[in-house]
Amino acid sequence: MVDLMTIGQIALNGLLLGGIYALISIGLTIIFGVIRVINFAHGEFLMLSMYASFWLFQILGIDPYLSILIIIPIFFIAGWLTQRAFIQPILKGPALMQIFITVGISLAMMNGALFLWKADYRSVTPSYAAITFKMGNFLIGLPRLVAFLSSIVIVLILYLFLKKTHLGRAIRAVAQDREAALLMGINMRRIYLIAFGIGTACVGVAGPLLLPIYPVFPTVGTYFVLIAFVVVVLGGMGNMTGAFIGGLIIGLIEAFSGFFITPQLQSLVYFVIFILLLLLKPSGLMGVVGAEEIGMK
Amino acid sequence: MISDLTQRISHLKYLKFYLISTLFGLLALLPLLIRGPFYSHILVMIFLHAAAAASWNLIGGYAGQLSLGHAAFYGIGAYTSTLLFVQWGISPWLGMLAGGGVAALVAGLVSFPCFKLRGPFFTLATIAFGEVVRILAIYFRELTRGAIGITIPFRPGIENLMFHGKMAYCYFALVTMMTVFFVSFLIERSRFGYYLVALRGDEDAAQALGVNTTMCKLMAMMLSAFFTAICGTFAAQYVLFIEPISEFSIDRSILFALISIIGGIGTAAGPIIGSFILTPLQEFLRAWLGGQYQGLHIFIYGCILIAVVMLLPEGVIIWMRAIGRRIVPPIRSRG
Amino acid sequence: MLFQAKKVTKRFGGLTALKEVDLEIERGEIIGLIGPNGAGKTTLFNVISGFYSPTEGNIQFEGRDVTGLKAYQTCRLGIARTFQIVKPFGNMTVLQNVMVGTFCRLRSAKVVRKEAFEILDLVGLSGKENELARSLTLPDRKRLELAKALATKPKFLLLDEVHAGLNPIEISQVLNILRRIRDEWGVTLLVIEHLMTVIMNLSERIVVLSYGEKIAEGTPEEISNDQKVIEAYLGEEDGE
Repeated sequence: MVDLMTIGQIALNGLLLGGIYALISIGLTIIFGVIRVINFAHGEFLMLSMYASFWLFQILGIDPYLSILIIIPIFFIAGWLTQRAFIQPILKGPALMQIFITVGISLAMMNGALFLWKADYRSVTPSYAAITFKMGNFLIGLPRLVAFLSSIVIVLILYLFLKKTHLGRAIRAVAQDREAALLMGINMRRIYLIAFGIGTACVGVAGPLLLPIYPVFPTVGTYFVLIAFVVVVLGGMGNMTGAFIGGLIIGLIEAFSGFFITPQLQSLVYFVIFILLLLLKPSGLMGVVGAEEIGMK
Repeated sequence: MISDLTQRISHLKYLKFYLISTLFGLLALLPLLIRGPFYSHILVMIFLHAAAAASWNLIGGYAGQLSLGHAAFYGIGAYTSTLLFVQWGISPWLGMLAGGGVAALVAGLVSFPCFKLRGPFFTLATIAFGEVVRILAIYFRELTRGAIGITIPFRPGIENLMFHGKMAYCYFALVTMMTVFFVSFLIERSRFGYYLVALRGDEDAAQALGVNTTMCKLMAMMLSAFFTAICGTFAAQYVLFIEPISEFSIDRSILFALISIIGGIGTAAGPIIGSFILTPLQEFLRAWLGGQYQGLHIFIYGCILIAVVMLLPEGVIIWMRAIGRRIVPPIRSRG
Repeated sequence: MLFQAKKVTKRFGGLTALKEVDLEIERGEIIGLIGPNGAGKTTLFNVISGFYSPTEGNIQFEGRDVTGLKAYQTCRLGIARTFQIVKPFGNMTVLQNVMVGTFCRLRSAKVVRKEAFEILDLVGLSGKENELARSLTLPDRKRLELAKALATKPKFLLLDEVHAGLNPIEISQVLNILRRIRDEWGVTLLVIEHLMTVIMNLSERIVVLSYGEKIAEGTPEEISNDQKVIEAYLGEEDGE
């Protein structure tokens, strides 16, 4: 049978990875919470940030972790522009169209990448990729540890930003009650732009953190965005803390299901959890913003 | 008075009827006019994709419930008829109906609890559903031969829905497309159709007018799944090879939606127009660029989708209607 | 007795929106429903029409227990309603909007179309059949909202602020229509209104809600002199 030590190791791996899932999901949940749009292209932004980090390493020799400094502003702007050019004009229209435009962006990005860079798996192996630490009887890989710690740092920064700064409070106001925010004179358009920018920047950070651990290929985004959706619904749409905790939980589930269930059925676990959540408890663990959109009266 | 107006409407209807009949007459001649295996193949694919998209349109367009998991029904159709034929020698004609029945049943059972989900959440649930079916199809190897796929032995003859040459396939695809078109056409003008469009517009208001929205969605979904499955059967009989990854792929689900949206979502003719635009694009790119085209045609689809959503959300059919209005004089309202 | 609500209570979590509301309405009456903002008037409509189920209490319509029936079921039985914030089917024409309502009673599209034309005539939207509902002005949207509900041939019609946003001429036009449908079609009306002159003018009997409870009921004369009602409205700006 499986001993306690192995279980502990699996749990540890799960938690570490969960940190990254949290980071990816937080971006998605912010975008939904503030703008009420489900960004089907979120995974493709992750894929692009992984490729960006890859090419920066290949061509310019920039370490993935350093590339984060370049990628954050670029992806913030990319998110800003996406909101400005594509989402904002159709926000007033039917939700149908909002879904389709992000699906369109997703298709274009994914297949653009496929066309330009082919389907080959690419990975980087910086010098430190193989370093592992020993903590008690457990092994911790350096890349996973860095990813986890960085995620926590980013989440904390975001948390402080939203709680303490004026802009952050404005963003939270819009997420909580749009009409009230409008009446208070908050510039909704600007908030939307910033929110999309932040959401995309989050996913931009996640890319380089993931690269030493996972290979990149054009459809890698779909795998992670699916996890992100499950996390976001689990933690409650629009709820940052929920996304964080949800990310850790899903990380654990992934680690354990990877161990106990045949790899073919591993994704099945997510889908089933996802469907069950949507049907039985769409508000997730921590309650939901925008319940009407989901269909709760 | 009212009678004056209705007289004008019926005149208009006759004119429109003749115009559309001519167009369809032309369509019926196409398989005869288009020669050569490559071009005939494109025609078959145009009609097939149009039929599948039109089937999707019943729930996605008219009822406005965006499903991105319809490939599941397509695959169910393909696998049901294929397994029945390959294992027990049952004619694909029966297999087609069986596949449609299974798909409709699955659609009904699965979608019913999902209808309380609105908008994008319903879509997410359908994506999850589609993927679950795909994974299960690969996993249950004993039933479906897994990822290896199934090859259908070529035994031409009408009872097996297999033919030498492409023309017969062209006509059958055309008939399938026209069937779904007529179903849409009839629904549009019926109480059911009005109810679907109403619930798409505002579900609460529809309920307040006596519309059992859940039942309407269910019927539309089952009908849509039925026809989608039939398209799957037909495709299997044409290509003579099926495997889970392409039959159940989400790309296919997106394609059905894409064709309807670009052509004109929620209209009977929209999917046909959309297919005439997108399918040749795909086939030509595949021919010209060979292996290098990987991804390019879907990239273009994505861009077209974005353009359509932003500039022409009601689809290309709006242009066609505008042209049509120039030819046919507009109705003048009373007063 | 056409309609009877007995001790209807509606709770949302910790909030009690309606508390033991009793209401009896005879066929052919025009009843006004008033009360300060947040009194629970629209909530009561939602409960009666089936959009909400009452947490406690009982609703009878034409002698039949309709408690907890869904919205589409109450409509088919003869209870129709309008929405305070109008809900047109923006993607359909004015005529098609009304046809959806008419389809509640009839099957054939041809007949339904003809009936719908007549309803449009009644509410004053003739000539606008082919306009898209989303392009209508507010007064026309209000007319359309009324037309849709009327198309279902209701026996009991719940009207939620049909006069809000209309000018005096438009208001009197709508009032005439309402009186007509009661006098000619025998429809019973329950009307929510903020405009005091309108409600006093139109209603034969008025029910007053405050904080979810019925605090008064009587003729317009009695209500305007009722101490409790005056207190409930103290500090509130009445319309007109």
